[in-house]
Amino acid sequence: MYAVEPSTRQPVDPGPQIPVPALGGRRRRQRLAAPYLLALPTVIVLAALLAYPVIKMIMLSFQHVTQRDLFTGESPAWIGFGNYAAVLADGFFWTVVLRTIVVAVVCVVLSVVVGLAVALLMRRVAGWVRILMTVAMMLVWSMPQLVSTQVFGWLVDSDWGVLNWALDKIPGVDYTNHSWWINPVQGWSVIIALVVWGAIPFIAISLYAGLSQVPRELIEAAVVDGAGPAAVFRGVTFPILRPLVGIVTTLSAIWDMGIFTQIYVIRGSKPELDYYNLAIYAYQEAFTKSHYSPGAAISILTVILMLGVMAFYVRQMFRIGDAD
Amino acid sequence: MKRRIAVAAALAATLLGAAACGGKSSSSSDSLDGKGKTLKVWLMVDAQTGWPAVVDAANAKFKADTGASVTVEYQQWTNHLTKLDATLSGKSVPDVIELGNTEAAKYVFNGGFADITDKKGSFDNSADWLTGLSAPCESDGKLYCVPYYAGARVLIYRTDLFQAAGLKPPTTYDDLTADAQKLQAAHGSDPKFSAFYMPGAYWYAAMSWVYGSGGQIAQKGSDGKWKGTLEDPTAEAGLQKWVDLAKTYSKGDPTKNENDQDAVFAQGDSAMLYGNGWELGAVQSQHQDPNDPNSPMVDTAVKGKVAAVPLPGAAAGQNLPSFLGGSILGVAQKSKNAGLAAQWIKDFTGTSSQQALLAKGALPNATNLLDAAAQVSGNEATAGAAKNSWFTPNAPTWADVEKANILQQALVNMVTGKQSVDAAAKAADTQITSTLNAS
Repeated sequence: MYAVEPSTRQPVDPGPQIPVPALGGRRRRQRLAAPYLLALPTVIVLAALLAYPVIKMIMLSFQHVTQRDLFTGESPAWIGFGNYAAVLADGFFWTVVLRTIVVAVVCVVLSVVVGLAVALLMRRVAGWVRILMTVAMMLVWSMPQLVSTQVFGWLVDSDWGVLNWALDKIPGVDYTNHSWWINPVQGWSVIIALVVWGAIPFIAISLYAGLSQVPRELIEAAVVDGAGPAAVFRGVTFPILRPLVGIVTTLSAIWDMGIFTQIYVIRGSKPELDYYNLAIYAYQEAFTKSHYSPGAAISILTVILMLGVMAFYVRQMFRIGDAD
Repeated sequence: MKRRIAVAAALAATLLGAAACGGKSSSSSDSLDGKGKTLKVWLMVDAQTGWPAVVDAANAKFKADTGASVTVEYQQWTNHLTKLDATLSGKSVPDVIELGNTEAAKYVFNGGFADITDKKGSFDNSADWLTGLSAPCESDGKLYCVPYYAGARVLIYRTDLFQAAGLKPPTTYDDLTADAQKLQAAHGSDPKFSAFYMPGAYWYAAMSWVYGSGGQIAQKGSDGKWKGTLEDPTAEAGLQKWVDLAKTYSKGDPTKNENDQDAVFAQGDSAMLYGNGWELGAVQSQHQDPNDPNSPMVDTAVKGKVAAVPLPGAAAGQNLPSFLGGSILGVAQKSKNAGLAAQWIKDFTGTSSQQALLAKGALPNATNLLDAAAQVSGNEATAGAAKNSWFTPNAPTWADVEKANILQQALVNMVTGKQSVDAAAKAADTQITSTLNAS
């Protein structure tokens, strides 16, 4: 749907200045054409895979497309901002927006904090433990979302879930046939746990790689100057790690705003209204209710919302870059 | 160095993003084999697991009649409509399509199916088709699809538990609740025991209580506008009865739907279950690996300890109306082999095919065959239940009510106590009214 490429480019080195008249007109044209020719395949693929669907979706959001139009090939009516007006005037949409943001914030904070903690832990433990941790995280990472979601669903199943069974073993606690989905706070806790669990490996391993770039001498110097572990982290480790933390946070924010598989699968492909986020809402409108155009409008609004989040973080990153 | 890590991270992220976007496969197009025409048929998995021989026989007869061969592609119920919509909007479409009878009206109304009115007389038993199957196939006096088979729901109960408690299968609704009370008391020490397992989102069940009390889901006014009628006193009385039953006698997850009720019942912790006729078999033997349809069947804990009767209604001798589920077959509007497609449907829904289906626990598509169905051992209760049945409002957008989980949501809210029956019914009515009148 969107590819993210946080810009880390420095201003391009212009290279040795070649006096223009020194080159023949023909060679000059060739030199100009070559980079574009090389980029052409990429541009074509991107245009086909990204630009075309996006343009179609934008068009869709300004039309009133029904199933009949789809089946018979009749051209749909253009209705301007009608879909947007209807969606924005719907109180439920704003509930979902708020819920999406809250869930994303909780997921991002949890996954970055725990991921960073795991990365710091990996620096401290013995080599073989570190290998074990890496292997375990790689396994988590390589598990398809669909599979891990199914497994989490079974863990918390009311009739035969192992979580209820285990909680039930605690004296004085009755979790027999407890349903985790009646109370949305409990249900979302399960979903957030699943998302964070799946997000930690990428964050922890990236940050661990970043940590290995922190010069030992700096830490030793800080310790000699009397800095405790907390002060070393605050004053030495974190500032060096900050750009990377910025990137993993941005990526997590983008991913966690668009959680879909986990919710859709764990609710048996029939999510209750309490479990709608923007991605689920758009899908349900467009594909289960065949309200294609309002669904497209919701998707576009989601993208706009995410652009806001991205703009903020990209600006932060540029600032950090400037400070360096 | 720092920069390189960042670039690597960004690259990895881009790749992940790209991978997440993939995976949506488009359906394959079907080419003509050159020797003659090939008909593409989309059937649901039930035919593959339940009656593959009937499909083969129809294909053979069709080939003998027309010389064309047939490719059957089996579809899963989950989200099959999403795939169908995408396919029907393209050029290469299946010629014959099976749909659930509650899904049909939407496709009939929106021009998904070809008009086959002039061929109606050529289909076997077309004068006696079950209304619950044929009504959604008709629009403005024209016919767009053909009834395929039906199913009805019955009360499945544990014979051993009933015997141990000295009970007989209930014949009135009061009997039923009294029996449930006794069974629940007898198994008071088992916190998992459900005298009547009833998942909270099981709307096919709950609506039977509504229709049994004289209510209905929605009604079409004289102005042609639909109106949700769950808040009518009769409907609410039925809902209340159902909620009482589910709350008092079912210990399962109230947010679940009926999808895994057979597996739950097969554990042996429940005494009664409301299910399709074929679920009587499903609770007794299940695939060793539920995800592998080729794995061997194994007996469950309740093997040989279950039987079925029609679910008793308010008055003695009267059953609670059962939802008449089923499937229909239509010719795609965009099919280039419409004549052949109709011929295949005729072969596949002929009387001989229907009789073969009866042996597999399905109900026939016509009333004149129902009595024959009742003669088949194991089918008696289902055939009886089908005689008093209800069907969803025949509005073009009914499927949207179903897909939007409006009823499921309302029922779960009632059973979990999040909303009163009245409040949940009113909220559902508002949504039903707006959905059914939407264009």
